[in-house]
Amino acid sequence: MHKIWLNSYPAGVPADIDPRAYASLCEMFERSCERFRARTAFTNMGVALSFGELERLSRDFGAYLQTVAGLRPGERVAIMLPNLLQYPVAMFGALRAGLVVVNVNPLYTAPELEQQLADSGATAIVVLENFAHTLERALAGTRVRRVITTQPGDLFPPVKRWLVNFAVKHVKRLVPRWRINGAVGLRAALARGARHELDRSKLVPDDIALLQYTGGTTGTPRGVILSHANMVANVEQTLAWSRTTLREGEETVVTALPLYHVFALTANLLLFIRLGGNNLLITNPRDLPAMIAELRRNRFTAMTGVNTLYRALLDADGFAQVCAANRGALKLAVAGGMAVQRSVSERWQQATGVPLVEGYGLTEASPNVCANPFDAKAFSGKLGVPLPSTEVVILDEHGDEVPPGETGEIGVRGPQVTRGYWNRPEDSAQAFAPGGWLRSGDIGRFDERGYLEFVDRKKDVIVVSGFKAYPTEIEDLVMRHPGVGDAAAIGVPDARSGEAVALFVVKKDPALTAEALREHCANSLAGYKRPVRIEFRDALPKNPLGKILRRRLRDEVVGADG
Amino acid sequence: MAEYPAHLAHEHRLFDGRTVTIRPIRPQDDLLERDFIDSGLSGENRYLRFQKWVAAPSDKLIHFLTDVDYERHMAFVCTVRHGEGEEIVGEARYVTNPDGKSCEFGIMIADAWHKSGIAGLLMDDLIRAARARGLESVEGIVLRNNATMLKFVRALGFEVHHVPEDPVNARVVKKL
Repeated sequence: MHKIWLNSYPAGVPADIDPRAYASLCEMFERSCERFRARTAFTNMGVALSFGELERLSRDFGAYLQTVAGLRPGERVAIMLPNLLQYPVAMFGALRAGLVVVNVNPLYTAPELEQQLADSGATAIVVLENFAHTLERALAGTRVRRVITTQPGDLFPPVKRWLVNFAVKHVKRLVPRWRINGAVGLRAALARGARHELDRSKLVPDDIALLQYTGGTTGTPRGVILSHANMVANVEQTLAWSRTTLREGEETVVTALPLYHVFALTANLLLFIRLGGNNLLITNPRDLPAMIAELRRNRFTAMTGVNTLYRALLDADGFAQVCAANRGALKLAVAGGMAVQRSVSERWQQATGVPLVEGYGLTEASPNVCANPFDAKAFSGKLGVPLPSTEVVILDEHGDEVPPGETGEIGVRGPQVTRGYWNRPEDSAQAFAPGGWLRSGDIGRFDERGYLEFVDRKKDVIVVSGFKAYPTEIEDLVMRHPGVGDAAAIGVPDARSGEAVALFVVKKDPALTAEALREHCANSLAGYKRPVRIEFRDALPKNPLGKILRRRLRDEVVGADG
Repeated sequence: MAEYPAHLAHEHRLFDGRTVTIRPIRPQDDLLERDFIDSGLSGENRYLRFQKWVAAPSDKLIHFLTDVDYERHMAFVCTVRHGEGEEIVGEARYVTNPDGKSCEFGIMIADAWHKSGIAGLLMDDLIRAARARGLESVEGIVLRNNATMLKFVRALGFEVHHVPEDPVNARVVKKL
């Protein structure tokens, strides 16, 4: 195919990368740990973890999983952690033991967690104690037999550890009571693992590294299979793209987006490990004062975020002081996951001196597919050009390529693209168009320079701050409430999160209240899936055949808000 | 009450040897129709037909689907015999639009009966009935993701139109 976008590549960026630069993520990780041993790999709440320490801790944890926990290569280990030093220890420990990592959103409710654990067949889980009560209620329907719990300060030096763990548990009371028989603390697991050798499994590139869950139109989340080869390729692609701007051993990246999401996992954790950089972990980006304080204490050269986060920072008290303290350091701010507003981008560039560089990706592609040049001088409003060794086409509804400049579904091919969904051969087959193009479900077009522009989404999905919520999952849950006759969920524009969930309900029980529905949702849906507005109607708009007309609901809401 | 158009019922032998009956739906089909939607269709298929989550069909929906007037609203079911019993394995219907010239159609096939050929049989009868009533076009809304359905209706001579304001759905139209 003719890659028209290659002419728009910055000088020094190659058209192709070596997708097999390393046989596995473990090999890549171990190489970086050797080269950058004394450098800081992660910083969290003022505590630094060096590459050397991370290598040792992850080796101990891997040895624990293999020897004491008795897990066999290919078994799945769930990780339910926010951005803490424990995250890379658990992830690389599991990968180095030949296990498959299943990332879990720590804010999931028990039903959501149970579904994901059961579907992935995970036999072990690493969980922050704050969420152990949720796990306790989810365990019954799963195959999990090893539970490793950790407290937020577990990898901090002694005094700080006691202070942080005491404050979380007894002052802020963030740990609801829980009881799981046989659960082991992470510190005990590391100590026991240290007495054993890690048997480095011989991983081959096609071995599975991650099952990364995304929603489906029928509301059941599906595990995207990402192999070591997929992930290594995407790191190498992103690395090649970053050569204009980032230097080995010199960078500090702000990691405020959650690592359980594949964007931060690849763009922050893996890329900056590859570069010998420092990941500055923000554990709770919703706590803006704490995040601002952290940013004032640390000089940082790069950052990733979504529109919602950049906007919140710009509006936060003290951000001007952050900019002043960091003057001259920041080289790159990448935005992905959701549409970036021009106004946010302009304010960001004014405040920090660098533009927001937009990228495009999807979980099924590890996730990076397109990016704007990292040395761009201004916000482009486009998704960027395909990364090295990546092919992108625009497809019509038959799966054929459309003429240049026309609009259609974005199709992707490259070494970073998944081979399919875990245990779902039919979904996997449907995900690809003839020629092996991954169907993104997004509608776009190319401009004459090979820049991809986003037009709309094809799938019935609501994107809340970069997280995908499927209407069917919300409707299924809401309609299980005995007072509900009928329900429809749609996405409505939201200044803060881009889109938010609005719910329309036809009552069966006239006494049904919005509060009762909110409580019902809060018990089973993670925060971003919960409706921000609930409206009662006598009937839902349907066509003569009984098909729901979501478009009409959306137009009503948007029209009413002016 | 509208008279049941019994003359439109017929048996058909499928290419795999099984025999099915295609006939207009009746109000007494309510229990069979409920079984069909409840157990014959996966959640995914119910979603594709109603474009929303339908866990269990309400009485109102079943009444709407089975109590048709055979004029403005026409529906055919495809059934198989099990001894004394009968099972619905597919249905297709149209409802005439207020303009009196066009109609909207919808079709559902039980998961186990995909690729059996019954969808084509049901649509043939539905299109014939629409033509006999003097309608000028059959139209429908299909999720753009529903590649199987788009391919199926194209083979039946439908045109597929994409409305720019609606990225989720395609509009399909067949002139009669």
